[in-house]
Amino acid sequence: MFDLERSAKGLRLNRFLHSLTQREKRELFLRDPEAAMKNLSEEERGMVRRLDWKAMQDYGASFFCLEKLARTKGVTNPEMVAHFRGETLEQFLKTRRVPGAR
Amino acid sequence: MARIIGGIGTSHVPTIGVAFDKGRHEDPDWQPLFKGYEPVAKWLAEKKPDVLFFCFNDHATTFFFDHYPTFALGVSDEYRIADEGMGLRPIPRLKGHAKLARHIAKSLVNEEFDLTLFQDLPLDHGLHSPLTMMWPTKPDWPGAVIPLVVNVLQQPLPTPRRCYKLGKAIGRAIRSYPDDLKVAMVGTGGLSHQMIGERAGFNDEKWDREFLDLIERDPERLAAMSIEDFMRLGGNEGAEVIMWLIMRGALDERVKKLHQNYYLPMTTAMAVALFE
Repeated sequence: MFDLERSAKGLRLNRFLHSLTQREKRELFLRDPEAAMKNLSEEERGMVRRLDWKAMQDYGASFFCLEKLARTKGVTNPEMVAHFRGETLEQFLKTRRVPGAR
Repeated sequence: MARIIGGIGTSHVPTIGVAFDKGRHEDPDWQPLFKGYEPVAKWLAEKKPDVLFFCFNDHATTFFFDHYPTFALGVSDEYRIADEGMGLRPIPRLKGHAKLARHIAKSLVNEEFDLTLFQDLPLDHGLHSPLTMMWPTKPDWPGAVIPLVVNVLQQPLPTPRRCYKLGKAIGRAIRSYPDDLKVAMVGTGGLSHQMIGERAGFNDEKWDREFLDLIERDPERLAAMSIEDFMRLGGNEGAEVIMWLIMRGALDERVKKLHQNYYLPMTTAMAVALFE
């Protein structure tokens, strides 16, 4: 649950993720990720580098801020949900009614 | 005087907008969704509301957690489309209705709903993913929108009861507007889904069907529930259906559901319902 405690802990990471709504920030991140992440801690940079959605969420990232990073990297929501469940995308899609609707 | 001619409840899943932009109307995976919106689009084309009052949430796009309002009302004459990390959707800027929005703002503050008021901000898919299913984008939007942005992201969220009461106050505000305008209410969100944690991918069609029944017949019962109830029954993110209660609160006590569609292809149950 994303509450004020998580929001406070994740503020710096969420601010970075949110900045990816700006095209120039996305372009910088794709070109030179370390420069784009210079305000993050080493722990935060590591999670972003690995695209470790679960670690970032546990740390305090809002799902909706994670979506900005996912869109920037071309990752879909079903891929993120599969990751949270500890499944591959193929395993997750087998549990869905219309696997092609994505 | 302004009139409320009906209400629409709808999901606002981002892929609905993507499916529209990619022209997936005839794709068998998406056709049940497009078909489900046709009666709503037809109703809007026939009834020609001047304004759609849209209750939705921003997805940490326009508003960030350094300042996240519980209820924020847009009072502009125009709204840009927000960039959510993929560039802009190819749709026109949204037309607002500043005069009616200002009247609603004054009326709500007089009723002790002290809202955040905003101007000249871009709006995200929470509003326009369902809108493009219902309203033509060409040559331009046929009318105006008034956006009400609700916090359903960062706990504590407003209670379901607060949302229902706010809807009633919005209904009174619209009906006290002196000009002849036709307004339709739109409540967005849901239905059941959970995007995070071990329960990610959760849905419950039985609860969704019950919700669709209660929102028509007994919204009071939904308003008496807690946010925790909604999260347990419909998933963490599914609790956003409290925004349907704002729409429902502005309608008459007795309403008739003219149409309903339910489609659960992937992670989020996609529903649309029309009330008069």
